[in-house]
Amino acid sequence: MRVQDIMSQPLVTISSDWSVRDAVELMDRMKIGSLPVVEDERLVGIVTSRDVRGAHPNRLVADVMRMDVVTVTPESSLWEAKELLEQHGIERLVLVERDSPVGIVTKSRLYAELGKHVDSLTGLERAGLLQRKAAELLKQGEEITVIFLDLDDFGVIDKEYGHVFGDEILMLVAKTLRGLMTDDVDCLCRYAGDEFAVVTARPLDEAKQLALRMVTALRTESWPRGVKVTGSAGVAGGRRHPGRQAGNEICTVSDLISMASLASTSAKKDRKPVVVAGKVELTEEVS
Amino acid sequence: MGEKEAGQARFPEPTRKGEIILRLSEFEFPPMQDVLLTGRKAPIGPEAVRRMVEALSPEQYEIIRLEHPLFDAVVLKKSLLKLLPREKLLPIILEEGERVATENTIVKVHVSVVIHVSRAVEL
Repeated sequence: MRVQDIMSQPLVTISSDWSVRDAVELMDRMKIGSLPVVEDERLVGIVTSRDVRGAHPNRLVADVMRMDVVTVTPESSLWEAKELLEQHGIERLVLVERDSPVGIVTKSRLYAELGKHVDSLTGLERAGLLQRKAAELLKQGEEITVIFLDLDDFGVIDKEYGHVFGDEILMLVAKTLRGLMTDDVDCLCRYAGDEFAVVTARPLDEAKQLALRMVTALRTESWPRGVKVTGSAGVAGGRRHPGRQAGNEICTVSDLISMASLASTSAKKDRKPVVVAGKVELTEEVS
Repeated sequence: MGEKEAGQARFPEPTRKGEIILRLSEFEFPPMQDVLLTGRKAPIGPEAVRRMVEALSPEQYEIIRLEHPLFDAVVLKKSLLKLLPREKLLPIILEEGERVATENTIVKVHVSVVIHVSRAVEL
């Protein structure tokens, strides 16, 4: 999903030579809290309700606007927008196309949308992130690897101790696994129920080592009420296909996730901590 | 005499007159004199001042934006800066401006600089 999908429309702008009084009236009338400031259709600043508060109504918008506007392109992802908002500690971003503002996205709207993509129990991103991150990593480099980790017999914990305790364990599992991840290299998400997945820029061998550490960490962790929590992991690697050629079958990121998932099922069946499915050639297209 | 006519005699029609007063004087040009200090909450801010100055006296003034509790800009006549460096002049103007201005006011300042020169020559 892109920021353009959630931007406020139609965009209301103001010229820098309008007065603060005009800006206040316009914001009141349109029930909005900010106005991108334009000169010859080019974005030159932004004025918010906070900027006009206490300012003399005769002042020019040019004299109260802030010129350090943080912008994104309409094609930017929601996560890129979130990073920018947090990095700058601001409430809104202006979407710009060829120097002209085309929309605004507010923090509240963005967070509401992102909430749909973040698992509220564990705080991890949901499965949709995996596709996005895999495509992103594939664009940056040649290789990506997916680790799929399935908890063993988790239903037994739910049945014996109840779902509230089960949820508590899932939160702790997320915390344990998160502690093993490296920022900007590994991306952990809750795939579904008791399944977790990682997409990583690590090569296959290194990813296998990470998968082993994940399984070991779960096995050796001391869990509440002395329960045992174990998991089985499957690993599948993908290499960016150099171009469209006849012959070899080109897989998608979805295929890679499926391979890792099936490998984790094999690991569980064969009572192995980790099974490596192998490496395939990938297209950047997300299916 | 009827009742109505008697009433008219007692309350005459009111009259209203207007008076026009004109005060003519020469427009002081440029209106900002040597220095202009714009308060942070004054009706015009630095950008408005810049546009005014550019329109009225292009190239003759320099606008310095300030990080100051009362003023957000000072407009200086460039010719003054030929007589005194900015770092000498500005602190004096700000110090004196602070005494009389608030953040809502715009203060114009007339600055007179006299340079005293004494030179010795070989006789």
